[in-house]
Parts: sequence; structure tokens; C-alpha cells
Amino acid sequence: MMGKALSSDFLKIRGKGLWFLVFLGPAGLVAMQALNFGLRYDYLTERYSGRLWETLLENILMFVPIALYLGITLVASLLANVEHHTNAWKQLLALPIARSAVFGAKFALCFLLLAVSCSVLAVGTIALGLSLRFGTDIPYGDILRLSFMPFLAALPALALFLWLCMTMKNQALPITLGVVLAIGSVFSYSLSEWVPVNWPLFGYHGTHPWAFAGAGAALGAVILLAGLLHFGRKDVN
Amino acid sequence: MNEWVIETRALSKRYKGRYAVSGLNLKIAKGDIYGFLGPNGAGKTTTIRMLLGLIKPSSGSVHIFGKELQKERLSILRRVGSLVEYPSYYGHLSAVDNLEAIRRILDVPVGKIAEVLDIVGLAKEARRPVKGFSLGMKQRLGIASALLGSPELLVLDEPTNGLDPSGILEIRELIKDMPRQHGITVLISSHLLSEVELTAGTVGIIRQGELVFQDTIESLHRQAQGQIRLVVSEPEQATVALMQHGFRAELKESAVWLNGGQGDDAVAGAVKRLVEREHSVYRVEERRKSLEELFLQIVGEGLRA
Repeated sequence: MMGKALSSDFLKIRGKGLWFLVFLGPAGLVAMQALNFGLRYDYLTERYSGRLWETLLENILMFVPIALYLGITLVASLLANVEHHTNAWKQLLALPIARSAVFGAKFALCFLLLAVSCSVLAVGTIALGLSLRFGTDIPYGDILRLSFMPFLAALPALALFLWLCMTMKNQALPITLGVVLAIGSVFSYSLSEWVPVNWPLFGYHGTHPWAFAGAGAALGAVILLAGLLHFGRKDVN
Repeated sequence: MNEWVIETRALSKRYKGRYAVSGLNLKIAKGDIYGFLGPNGAGKTTTIRMLLGLIKPSSGSVHIFGKELQKERLSILRRVGSLVEYPSYYGHLSAVDNLEAIRRILDVPVGKIAEVLDIVGLAKEARRPVKGFSLGMKQRLGIASALLGSPELLVLDEPTNGLDPSGILEIRELIKDMPRQHGITVLISSHLLSEVELTAGTVGIIRQGELVFQDTIESLHRQAQGQIRLVVSEPEQATVALMQHGFRAELKESAVWLNGGQGDDAVAGAVKRLVEREHSVYRVEERRKSLEELFLQIVGEGLRA
């Protein structure tokens, strides 16, 4: 049943700028590093010679959490707005489909879109490294970890923002919260690793990245479940 | 064991201590067009949302096709098409894509889209983005979406809201055809009696969340039947005389009014008695209450209560 809803959702996001956003995010991250390394190529390659790929990944990582949080907020809001715009909820939910399937499909769609973003980031990173002549000794494992582990660690945010965006007609609150979170994630590094906002960073960086990715996925599942329950009971006006 | 398509039992919805709908017992028969009437804010839309499972009743139950909505929502909704208030649509998509988005969930054959577009007369505009549609066209697209799943029950909440007279006529003809051609039962809500008068077989009138009238449209017509007004000389004595002869006469505005059962013979009899008693009969008139007046009276009684 969720498959039907998902296929319907794929149709509905046509021409809504979601696909554009999905490619813009990772392209922006890669472009920033292209600029960084392009402007001071000689200085950086000399200073970090021997660990050029690692340096590139470290530099990209700094901006992954903020990009993730912004991406999550915008994707969730744009997706929810497709239904909010003409109050299509009342039509959609009067169809013979379980509300959990509707909610589940939206989550799955967000997840897929962001996963595409992460893949684009991986491909973009490799392309950038090669074009900067960092050698063909490409650290594939690290690149995949950089692209996907922070995303898994950021799943609580995805579940939370999707829930907020889908249940609130006024998107100002979730978007404000998302932007604050995104900007905050740049400065929250000094806080405890128990703060979930930091998890995307530790999902790549720390001593046990898998624990943070796993914790993110688990907390995300819990929030998703809460959202499902609430959405299932909510009155639709 | 009566076969009601929709039956609600003591259906109530409370918002913050105030009842939007209370103790509603709707009964809608198969193949009927049921006109659900009431002024704005009487609880029509709230009721319809409860019928579709969009909001949960505070108490009471909804049975559709003899099954309880709470328990078998999906299998019931599979057989129901609905249009709730102003139409919902995805403005950036064309009419066909709008229907396709719904079709993918309903899982009906692709051919059905062209069929319903044809029924509502949108076949020519099918490829245009819906945001450029007029309100009437959007409303028709809403009806097309409601028809997409070949429903046995059609629930239309104010389907003619905001339409021009020709649009209203078109929709009315469309709705009239439903039971005849497809055996569909229709529930249609409106705040105008005149709108459902010509299509509905049964009407229910809701006022401040309570059902105050539920019967056939003929019965409403009967209630709307008029009184006979007799202008005579010495009306006081004439009234007394008629009452003595068993007429339900009443003195009002210095004329005699006959209530109820005014067959031709009764009127003739009354005039004969008056003439026998040497009253001069100046005028015998029938005063009919229009349905609209009756509706306003039924609806208005709540204001005084």
C-alpha cells in the first residue's frame, strides 16, 4: 500500500523544485571546495602533500551537517506543502489508504531524495579530487562514509521535521527551527557528543562513527513512530 | 434490518466543550439523493468529515454499507467517492496528472481517467495545469476525482459553492444522473434549499449541530402547504362558527384562516356555512408558504430557542 502512495508522491513532486534542490546541495558543497582548492592550490597541495584526499574530505565534512539540516528542512517542507497548498489532505486521506502508508511514503520519499543527494556528493567528491589531480589512490570507503554516515546520524532531524511540516499548515515554525538548527550545528561541536545535533559530524569523525550513525537511525525510528501515531489519529480540517 | 447506505447513531463531535454536531441520526437509503441542508456553521462539513473518517467522532458511530466506519474504514472508503468543501487539487499538475495521482492509490485502470474527464466535460482541458482552471472547472475536476474509483456512494459537500448559474445547472444535471445511470447513492450538502429541491429525494436539515428534519422532499412540500384566507364580514363570529363546525379556523389580521386539510370540499363547506350565517364573503385566497420560507422557519427556530 505504501508503494502506491509513493508512486503517487513521485508524480506529485514533478516541477516542484525538489529534484533541483537534491542536486543543488551536494553541487554547492563540491563547488565550495573547488573554489577553496582552486584559489590556493599550490599552498594547500604543498602543505598537505601526501594526504590530499583526506584533507579534501575533512574540508567537505565541515559543511556536511549544515547542508544536511538545511536540505532536510527544505525537502520536508516542500514535500508537505504539495498537500498543504490546496489543503489536499482532506482529499488524500479520504481515499482508501491507511494514514500510516501516507506518512510512511512521504518519509520514504524524503529518505530517497536525500540519499540521491548523498550519492551525488560521493560522485562529486571523487570527480573533484580527480580533477585536482590528487591521484588515483581514491579512498572509496572514506568517501562513502562521509556521504552516508552523517545522513544516517541526521535521521532524527528528518523524522522530526517531516512530522512538523506534515502536521502544521504554517511552515514558518518548522523552517525557522530547521535554519536555527543548521546554523547551530556549525557551532555546537564543542558541546557533548550526546547532543544529537552533533551526531552527523561524529558519524564520520569520532572514534566510533558507527555508534553515532546507528543511534541516529534508532532515534529517527522512534520519532518516526511517534509521528506516525500522531498523524494517524489527527483530525483533518 | 433496513438497508441503509449511511446510518449514524447519536453521532456527536465536541470542540472545546461546544458541540459542533450532537446526537445526529442520519439515515440514507440506497439509490437516493439525500440533500443535507443547514445554514453555514450548522455542522454539515463536520458531519461529512466524520462520515469520511477525516475526523473522529467524540461519541456515537457511523455505519456505511452496514459496516462500522471505525473498524473497516479502508474497505468502506474503497466504495466511496468524496468532494469536501472547496476542491483540492495539485495546481502544478494537469487534470490528467491530478487524476493519475489519485488513480495510483485507488489502483483502477488507466482508461478510467478519460472516462471520468468525459463525464464532467473536461476532456478538452485535460492537459492544462489545473492552477489556470476556473473555479467551476476545478469543482468539476473534484467531482471527476470522486468518480474515479467507481463509487457506490458519492459524498459531495457544497459542490456548487462559488459556481455561476450555468455551472450550478450543469452540476445538478450531473448529480441527477448518478442514481439513474450508475445506481450511485448521493449525499449532497448545501446551505440553499433551492439547490437540492430539484434533485434530492430526501432531505435532512441540520441546525446548530442537531438534525431538526429528516424526511422525503414530498413531506417537506406537504408541510409547506398553505392556508386558506377568508375575508368576511364580522370575522370574530365567523371564526367561532367555523370552529363549532369542526374547522381548524383561526382569527388573524381580521381575516379567518383555515389550517390543514383544505380539500376543495372542505373549503366549499366552510364558505357554505358562512353564507348560511349571512356573513358576506369578500375573498377566498390560498396563501402558500414557499419551501424556502419553511426552511428558514425550521432553521430560524433555533435562534429563538
